Amino acid sequence: MSGLLDRRLLLVTGKGGVGKSTVAASLALRLASAGLRTLLCEVNADRRLGRMLGHPGVGPEVTPVEPNLSMVDLEPDAAMREYVLSKIRLERVYRAVFENRMVRYFLRFVPSLAETVMLGKVMWHLRQWPDAPGGFDRIVLDLPATGHALTLLGVPQSLVSALPSGPMSTEAGWMLDLLTDPVITSAVLVSLPEELPVNETLELAQALRSRLRVRVGAVVLNQSVESRFGKADLSALASRPGLTALVQTYEEDARRSEEAVERLRAIDAPLVQLPRLVTPEVGRGELVSLGDALAEGLR
Amino acid sequence: MNGPSLEEVLRHRRVLVCVGAGGVGKTTLAAAVAMRAAALGRSALVCTIDPARRLANALGLTWLGNAPTEVSAEVLAGAGIRLAAPLQNRFYQTLSTALAGSQEYIALERLGQLRDRSDVQLIVLDTPPTAHALDFLDAPSRILDFLDNEAARWLLDPALRASRLSLRLAHWGGGVAAKTIGRIIGGDTLEELAAFLGAVSGMNQGFRERARAVRALLASPETGFLLVAGASPERREEALRFHAVLGDRGLQRDGVVVNRVQEQPPASAETELEGLPEPLRGALARTLGEARALAERDRLSVRLLRDGTAPVPLVAVPRFPSEIHDLRALWRAGSYLLGEAAIL
Repeated sequence: MSGLLDRRLLLVTGKGGVGKSTVAASLALRLASAGLRTLLCEVNADRRLGRMLGHPGVGPEVTPVEPNLSMVDLEPDAAMREYVLSKIRLERVYRAVFENRMVRYFLRFVPSLAETVMLGKVMWHLRQWPDAPGGFDRIVLDLPATGHALTLLGVPQSLVSALPSGPMSTEAGWMLDLLTDPVITSAVLVSLPEELPVNETLELAQALRSRLRVRVGAVVLNQSVESRFGKADLSALASRPGLTALVQTYEEDARRSEEAVERLRAIDAPLVQLPRLVTPEVGRGELVSLGDALAEGLR
Repeated sequence: MNGPSLEEVLRHRRVLVCVGAGGVGKTTLAAAVAMRAAALGRSALVCTIDPARRLANALGLTWLGNAPTEVSAEVLAGAGIRLAAPLQNRFYQTLSTALAGSQEYIALERLGQLRDRSDVQLIVLDTPPTAHALDFLDAPSRILDFLDNEAARWLLDPALRASRLSLRLAHWGGGVAAKTIGRIIGGDTLEELAAFLGAVSGMNQGFRERARAVRALLASPETGFLLVAGASPERREEALRFHAVLGDRGLQRDGVVVNRVQEQPPASAETELEGLPEPLRGALARTLGEARALAERDRLSVRLLRDGTAPVPLVAVPRFPSEIHDLRALWRAGSYLLGEAAIL
């Protein structure tokens, strides 16, 4: 067995509003229910996943929330301190440099520093042996939207290429090794049956492959609609304007889903279609059934 | 509708900032707003700080750069839109292609510059799709905070204007501090930042004044905010939070637009099911049930949003059968903004 669910690190990303968090939560619930100790991470996201799963108190500390499931909402300040202090060699320097008022002001203006330390925290957990105390079999990372996700994932690579050899370059080096190892890490790209999200998914897949060398493990088409009616059905509805309009609207949605599927097939990775939900809220029941649909689709 | 309508807003506002979560259609609606303002006789400029080229997509342009670009009258006419003569040359947009992370600063730069242009009466600003969509509001204060800080003044010492800041950083604390920071943040990033700060320090005073002006502009009576929301449950909650934040900051909330709202199928649809053979009837009944559930979900969202944001005017824009990426569709979306058409 060597499917997506066997990867230790799942990076869930896509355009804003496509349902990344829903997919990440569904995956994590599914993995945890299969008996795998799972860490679900979100990145400075206002505890969104915590609220979705009914654990609104989860903050920047890794917190066990259910059997086999822990959660964390990565925050730059907390991660910064933890990450830099975890480097024994830098502890002395941390106080001298990073607690300097001037430096703190300066650091607020560094675009990718927050990303570095937050990614570092995730990678630290990934690096621990799963069977170590508090270790995790699986880590699901709910990444920000495309642009920010690429910035975040690109950090180790730019550190490796920009730094002379030394402790930080070594850190970035193993982070890069883990991110680019297809046995360990897979990206899950979430999309919607609309033109712009599909465009962005294709660009994202390209950037992950060629620029960051991160394996794309699956493409998830969220809110997908399957065709139900043919031309013959429509002619059977000739004198029924309400139903005709209904079928046309529905089939238009189905056509868009098909078109999206066709375009997304250009990405060399399994494609899973998740059905469109019509419930007023996405609750645990919906997340569990989406998780089942994902596992089924990835079999 | 309570308070001023969106039409009033389009007629009188100097700056209209479109805010909302990523993926709700902010960019498209910003374009629709600017187009309608132009049609009302105002010169409108729509500015996006979204690195993706969505605005260009929405306006049917193949390329947009950092300089304002005109949408030609031919393009508009081709889409069946006629503008009053003096407006033809005044529908501009600009797209900043700034790097991620510097977007907010660049946006401020642009907003500051654009605001000084006398040929633009309304600036519609589309905001970037960040996780925290309202971070943008803090950018001027962060910059001023930075520039006015003692430590930063040292960093940006006017005497250093001529020299490269990166050199200065390299000499800082015998190089250890800069080297250490460089090691944490990446040498190229440090270079980039140094270049950015160097550029800023070169125009320190002007920059500071502009940042102040922009902060004042955001809070001034000239500026209003248009909150773009989605109808799904997640989107709804997000929008209510944004609305509260804008209010807490004392910013002017000009309107709420709920985008892509699903409409109910006609009431006759159930009766029409009678006499149809299976399995067609069953498939239709199921599809109809789903469509009603979706429309009901959206109706509930619109109601909750309306209750939660009153008395700010709220308009619902229906989901269109196809995506909006031409001017004709933009124009149609605009008719809901102005109350020429309405749902819910």
